Amino acid sequence: MTVIWTQDGIVENDPWVSGSAAEDGPKLLPLAEALDHAQDNAAFGVVLQPADDVRALAPILDRVEIVAVTFPAFSDGRGFSQAMLLRTRLGYKGTLRAVGTVLLDQVPLMLRTGFDSFEVDHAPTIQRLVEKRLPGIDLHYQPAADKTADGPGYSWRRTAILNG
Amino acid sequence: MYRYDEFDHAFVAARVSQFSDQVERRLSGDISEDAFKPLRLMNGVYLQLHAYMLRVAVPYGTLNGRQMRKLAHIARVYDRGYGHFTTRQNIQYNWPALSDMPAILNELAEVEMHAIQTSGNCIRNVTADHFAGAAADEVADPRPYAEILRQWSSVHPEFSFLPRKFKIAVTGSDRDRAAIQVHDIGLQLKKDDQGRLGFAVWIGGGQGRTPILAKKVKDFLPEADLLTYTTAIMRVYNLHGRRDNKYKARIKILVHETGVEKLSQEIEAEWLHLKDGELKLPAADIAAINAYFAPPELAARAEGWGELAAWKKSDPGFASWVGRNVAPHRHPDYAMVTISLKPIGGIPGDASADQMDAVAKLAEEFGHDEIRVTHEQNLVLPHVALADLEPLYRALLADGLATANAGLITDIIACPGLDYCALANARSIPVAQEISNRFGDLKRQADIGDLKIKISGCINACGHHHVGHIGILGVEKKGAELYQISLGGSGDENASIGEIIGRGFEPDRITDAIETIVDTYLANRTGADEIFIECYRRIGAEPFKTALYSSEAEAA
Repeated sequence: MTVIWTQDGIVENDPWVSGSAAEDGPKLLPLAEALDHAQDNAAFGVVLQPADDVRALAPILDRVEIVAVTFPAFSDGRGFSQAMLLRTRLGYKGTLRAVGTVLLDQVPLMLRTGFDSFEVDHAPTIQRLVEKRLPGIDLHYQPAADKTADGPGYSWRRTAILNG
Repeated sequence: MYRYDEFDHAFVAARVSQFSDQVERRLSGDISEDAFKPLRLMNGVYLQLHAYMLRVAVPYGTLNGRQMRKLAHIARVYDRGYGHFTTRQNIQYNWPALSDMPAILNELAEVEMHAIQTSGNCIRNVTADHFAGAAADEVADPRPYAEILRQWSSVHPEFSFLPRKFKIAVTGSDRDRAAIQVHDIGLQLKKDDQGRLGFAVWIGGGQGRTPILAKKVKDFLPEADLLTYTTAIMRVYNLHGRRDNKYKARIKILVHETGVEKLSQEIEAEWLHLKDGELKLPAADIAAINAYFAPPELAARAEGWGELAAWKKSDPGFASWVGRNVAPHRHPDYAMVTISLKPIGGIPGDASADQMDAVAKLAEEFGHDEIRVTHEQNLVLPHVALADLEPLYRALLADGLATANAGLITDIIACPGLDYCALANARSIPVAQEISNRFGDLKRQADIGDLKIKISGCINACGHHHVGHIGILGVEKKGAELYQISLGGSGDENASIGEIIGRGFEPDRITDAIETIVDTYLANRTGADEIFIECYRRIGAEPFKTALYSSEAEAA
């Protein structure tokens, strides 16, 4: 079972689940198609592959509702840099979703690099996410794209702002 | 040296519980072995031939006595009474049980230590000159910068799943004792013409199956830009480094395939966006970290000069130990002492728990409580008064730690090889032991002079054979071990990659071959002051090839 998870919990009936978009519903498009589609007016999202240059999205980013970043394998970390560029360089404010291989131990790092939505099909991961038992560390030795408070001691340190 | 504040303590404690949770989920089957592997590696846990191995970080090779005692304790309680110091200034334990890992990590945390990022495809433990903060030739202490890099790179959210491992080394003087040109990033501290501190930045060096020397991408990077520029390099590498083939995934291949000019332009373009951002280092923070590394108060001990001369006269063994293992300190009454972990016929880099305890005690008694691990697998007491050298020597002698061979032919670097390692094709340790025994006579070694032999048991080159004056690479051929020799490598400021000299030698012939090479050098050198590497650079490979292979050619 595939679910969409955000920090508010499981999202029911998300229209953007990969492969489930109806013919005339919202579309998740590959980068090249998205650049073409930007002429139309219908709402759309973009699915990025790891080799895509996210900076190509800059001219149309204000019209994109969701960017899905693909993690083809647990060990492939390009999506973390794509997310950082989207959030900190291009100023993207919309939904940023991790898709592909999304496992529990990546999620805290994904949250830090700006992801706010996760497409997950690994049952033990889903269970821990639902229980809100993330395996992250709340003290950070570096700034990233997430909302954090300045940490004690040195300029590079940050501490997590815990919700609720 | 650096001392943890509350933040560091809390972070390491959180990392231990994070890892314990990961181990539990692996044991319950919630994580597959494939997904667990990168997680355990990022915490220094390997699965080797016979057992798990734990690699503990010794950041930039600096320890105090209390930490060394803890390492001894771990060796005694959780391992078989010894540990192995590595070429990246770490220590590894070869026999711990997986179930003991959380307990070991908790014990380490008590003394401000951990195993974070000693393996895996992330930014590894940052290394530095082992004589940092003491050497007479130093521009500035590299350790504060290594500590800043250590903190910044710890559990980095963007750079924890890189194409491949990533190694950074920092040196503080023109003499490169940290082998920066064979690192993914090499940093050399220097001053610009206005006296401001910064770095020459090198990228793309590495050994392994494709040895490449690093290329300089920045002649002078102001110290405030250390983290912004490093972030730019890491981001370009993370996005563009190859992931289709693990043997082509290091940044050296990206540099080679893209071209250093084009790649450094990309790095520069990325850096323009980052350089005035939140990672720019405030001078106050650099100063605060530097304060931790303030040199100890070294009182004048001028009486040592006369005593030293008298002791040397009366004890030739002491005199030769001073000649080889004692180097000048920036304070004239003090010295830097290398404690050799290369006893004749011993296993390079191994130390018993008792020896570790002894070193801890001696560091506290004679060395201002500082110990260093060198990338050549020895230990160093960086601040010893000349007046204390004799009692220190007596104590080291009693513990088998006074071998006077620093920099000599028996000061061999060797990887663990097929005796331990799951990757190895051939044994390294027995080869090192046999060479050490063959050349064990100290007078003979001293006559041969500076000569670095480095041995790897497979192409991954953990024993740094590419940068050995004499490099030995163990390979497997038709089910048997064979040893290839390369000559002319060097890992210092005049770095070079050794050249393979010809066909390999069987285990029972490799030591003879080394002896032939040494004899050829002795016959060709202009004098005792022309060391092996200089002689090789002058006369080239031919005389050595002739000596090694011509009799065979005639016989054939």
